Amino acid sequence: MKKRGLALAVVSAMLVATLGACGSGTTKTTGDSTAAQSQDSGSKQAANTEKSEVDNIIAQAQGMSLEELAKKAIEESNGKTFYGVGNSSRGKTALPLFISYLKTIDPNYNMEFEWQQPKNNKIFEQLSADSLKPSGTFAMTLIQDGNQIQTKMVDTNILKTFIPKDWAEANGVSADSYKGFLPLQTLNKVFMFNNTGDAKYTNCWDFVYEGSHPLFMDIDSELVGKNFLYMLTKEEYADKLKEAYDKLDATKKAYFDPVIAGEESDAKDLGLSENGKYALAWIKLWVENYTEETDDGPICNTLVDTSAKDQSGLLVYSKLRSVEESANVSVNNITVAAYQDDYTGIGGYGYNHYLFLTKNSPLPWTACAFIAYITCTEDGFSAWGKDMGGYSSNPKVMEATEAKYQHQKGGYNEAGEDQFPAKDDRGYDWWTKDGELVLEDPQYCADVSFTVGNWIEMLSKASDKN
Amino acid sequence: MGILKNRIRTFFGKPQNIILLIFGIMLTFSTVAPVVAIVKDTLQIHPGTIDQHLTGKASGYSIVNYIDLFTSKLAMSNLWKPLINTLFLAIFTCLISILYGGFFAFLVTRTNMKFKKYLSSIFIFPYIMPQWTLAVVWQNMFNSNAVLGTSDGLIASLTGVTFPKWWCQGLFPSAVVLGLHYAPFAYIMIGGIFKNMDANLEEAATILDTPKWKIMTMITLPMITPAILNTILLVFGSAMGSYPVPHYLGLTTLSTKYISLNSKYTGEASILAIIMMVFGIMILSLNQLSLKSRKNYTTVTGKSGQLSKINIGKAGKYVVGAVYIVMTFFTSIWPIMLFALETFLPNPGDYSFLYTHDFKNLTTKWWLTSENVTENGLYGQHGILYNPTIWHAFWGTLLLAFACAAIAGTIGTLIGYAVAKNRRSRWAAYVNNMAFLPYLMPSIAVGAAFFILFSNEHINLFNTYYILIIAGVIKYIPFASRASLNSMLQISNELEEAAIIQNASWVKRMVKIIIPIQKSSIISGFSLPFMTCLRELSLFLLLCTQGFILSTTLDYFDEMGLYAFSSAINLILIVTILVFNTLADKLTGSSLDNGIGG
Repeated sequence: MKKRGLALAVVSAMLVATLGACGSGTTKTTGDSTAAQSQDSGSKQAANTEKSEVDNIIAQAQGMSLEELAKKAIEESNGKTFYGVGNSSRGKTALPLFISYLKTIDPNYNMEFEWQQPKNNKIFEQLSADSLKPSGTFAMTLIQDGNQIQTKMVDTNILKTFIPKDWAEANGVSADSYKGFLPLQTLNKVFMFNNTGDAKYTNCWDFVYEGSHPLFMDIDSELVGKNFLYMLTKEEYADKLKEAYDKLDATKKAYFDPVIAGEESDAKDLGLSENGKYALAWIKLWVENYTEETDDGPICNTLVDTSAKDQSGLLVYSKLRSVEESANVSVNNITVAAYQDDYTGIGGYGYNHYLFLTKNSPLPWTACAFIAYITCTEDGFSAWGKDMGGYSSNPKVMEATEAKYQHQKGGYNEAGEDQFPAKDDRGYDWWTKDGELVLEDPQYCADVSFTVGNWIEMLSKASDKN
Repeated sequence: MGILKNRIRTFFGKPQNIILLIFGIMLTFSTVAPVVAIVKDTLQIHPGTIDQHLTGKASGYSIVNYIDLFTSKLAMSNLWKPLINTLFLAIFTCLISILYGGFFAFLVTRTNMKFKKYLSSIFIFPYIMPQWTLAVVWQNMFNSNAVLGTSDGLIASLTGVTFPKWWCQGLFPSAVVLGLHYAPFAYIMIGGIFKNMDANLEEAATILDTPKWKIMTMITLPMITPAILNTILLVFGSAMGSYPVPHYLGLTTLSTKYISLNSKYTGEASILAIIMMVFGIMILSLNQLSLKSRKNYTTVTGKSGQLSKINIGKAGKYVVGAVYIVMTFFTSIWPIMLFALETFLPNPGDYSFLYTHDFKNLTTKWWLTSENVTENGLYGQHGILYNPTIWHAFWGTLLLAFACAAIAGTIGTLIGYAVAKNRRSRWAAYVNNMAFLPYLMPSIAVGAAFFILFSNEHINLFNTYYILIIAGVIKYIPFASRASLNSMLQISNELEEAAIIQNASWVKRMVKIIIPIQKSSIISGFSLPFMTCLRELSLFLLLCTQGFILSTTLDYFDEMGLYAFSSAINLILIVTILVFNTLADKLTGSSLDNGIGG
């Protein structure tokens, strides 16, 4: 009997809801683009709360030097355990360096630490759950996906931005007036292709041309990939796509024209700029044709193999660092598209790892000191800086890191020959200017996530055909 | 009053009643709480997701998730197509596992096929291995640049032969991989019954000159019907809730959709979980109906006869055995060889030494690198032998598996016993169903529900062994309770009644009579949670981070494309399970498979 009751309760819940659906003719649903405008009030309200203890500490910390912060951290966390959570595993490498630094100030200092790296978007649920407690477990986080950070973490007041004084000075801003999140680094996903065949990729439209099935992480599991697509619809990047389109030959234009024309009305409905239809056409062709992979690692493994003739992909640049040369596999089997002299258009996507304190951080001073340490010192950033394709948000640290690790000559051998040109990382400035990297704008992503986002979800992914 | 007192005394005088009462209450809470948590989640507004967008509110409750999931333009891709795929996957998986595993059980227990001991041991290997590792092997074997746009797999590289897309991705490979994975399950369940079956009826039919096919359809198959139904119940639910296999083989199911929707359509993802649960409840109801129609399934009595073996011919017994040796080679040995080989390749999937015949291309770096050197091609990892993440996960996994096996095995065995003793009681049926219900819920949804339950202002158990053990025990009690119930139903009451007449205590009856008779089934009730726990991913995926247990670490390395590490973890898992299986064999005389085939 009880089992039946339970079953009945579950089914009833679904039935009631479904009936509710029948009766609610005016309720908006996904795909209804007019529904986009309604989300402001609730989320913004949450942010306007009274200043907490963590807010007060951040306000004080923003006026302090790293050394002053370090002293506060020593006072606060000596003998305690520091819990951090992040999308990057390197937090685990950076924390011992931080502890060593604190020991240079107080040799008796010691702190245990645990660094967690949840998967499958779990970091947001984990932080949300932790935020319910009066004193949280996690002192800070290193997190990616500006869109979700904005809507789930910042609008809801779960995460707090701390701007280190030294970082602000290095960037020519003041901590108090700085708006936005604190990036630790920018990472780039760049277009590459296997060059063992005849295929040419000299224009960003070539990656969506007939027969092309670039390798890319599933946009539903790697949401920064979806943010990349959102960003293409921003006016400045839609304009870049239009410029690249203009340089195509007539044959290719003839292939793309019907698709572009077909997106004109959608671009208007979605409130995009004049060239928005080019962005939508590119996105449509990309989503409908990309070959889905679980991670950038397998994409890299595939592209460097001679058998992946003419295949292309958009993947994290730093993956090239660990390829070992063999009869079948070589870094020289791939070409970084934007490094070609005759390449036109966007060269990839730049997204950030952001740093935050939690609103109920149990060790706020230590979290501030750690954040200042990894954003303002070369040693602190070395956990990330030793690899190509990651650029510190602090210009001084970026410069020092490049001087130390020489990523611009990453493909040179000991004899001074350029053995693997693809590994010669041209650096942040080159990528953002000449490389035409599309840069993540969290607020823009959040704004279009239910307009452009829903439009993308209506497209039929190549993998959906299984 | 006196009558009531006597009734209570009589009630509590029977150990099975106490067991049913205690576990009935406990299981009600542990089973209903996750269900309530998920239902609540479907109605809750989640900041930054579709429900906030559609309602314009940042908190509170709404039925908008139901409306959107069932009526929006995305209903086909978010709901109906994954639902249809899931059902097909579950049905085909059941078919493949029962046909392949059931037939093998028949051959091992009822015929004079040769090489039984070897085959029986090797057949369970796909169940020992995490299910998605066979999917990864499938990819490594059959993928090709020409068809999928990836690098060539082994067959395409060596022979140039390419396989069509339906063979490489989607429903077919997913069902085959899951079917092979669960075939040992069918083998264990059905084989256990075959092994213990009283041959009197079949012998009587043989004496009466009944044709063999008629004996099979009229006597043998009906006798093993409970085992087949139980296998369907367990396999159907598991296949429905399987996340990694369809994920790796590119099939969109409710489980994969649950994960992909979870970030933006959190509440709608929970509805998908409820839909899977509703299917689970429906299957359970069907099973109840079939149970009601059964009269008696006692197969072990005090006067059991000798089991007869069917002679499949002088040559036949060798030929059939050889065929299975070849088949099990590809399902059990070949993957292990590939795992071992993978750990010596210079790059993940780089078999270039096969074409160049230059064995210098092989490397021990994945095992022996003792420092963190990214330049050496280890992607920031230490070698396997020195990798603290892997070894921390290994010890954590052992702790988890032991705890889950001990707790779930004990509770499940007791429940099975008590339900068998009170088989006509409604409360017993209720307890039995409550114990079984978690198994029918998709693992991912159960994990998510426990995450929600234990992530609040009072308690936060994420990434602790407590939450893993709780989820594992609740989820795996059915293994033990079903194995126990199946076997207990075969034991005639007259055995225990004889002991009661001799004034034997309940503990003595259990230890001296019940447990020894059904030792292999009961050991299965402990071994299955242990083995399953070792390589469970879907259930624990959302409850801890990678590096906490081996399965999440393995999945992490597989997703990252670091197949040397994931292959090594597979080898570690297989060796661990074999060691414990052998230990169980030596210490108790019963192991997972030799109760059937040994």
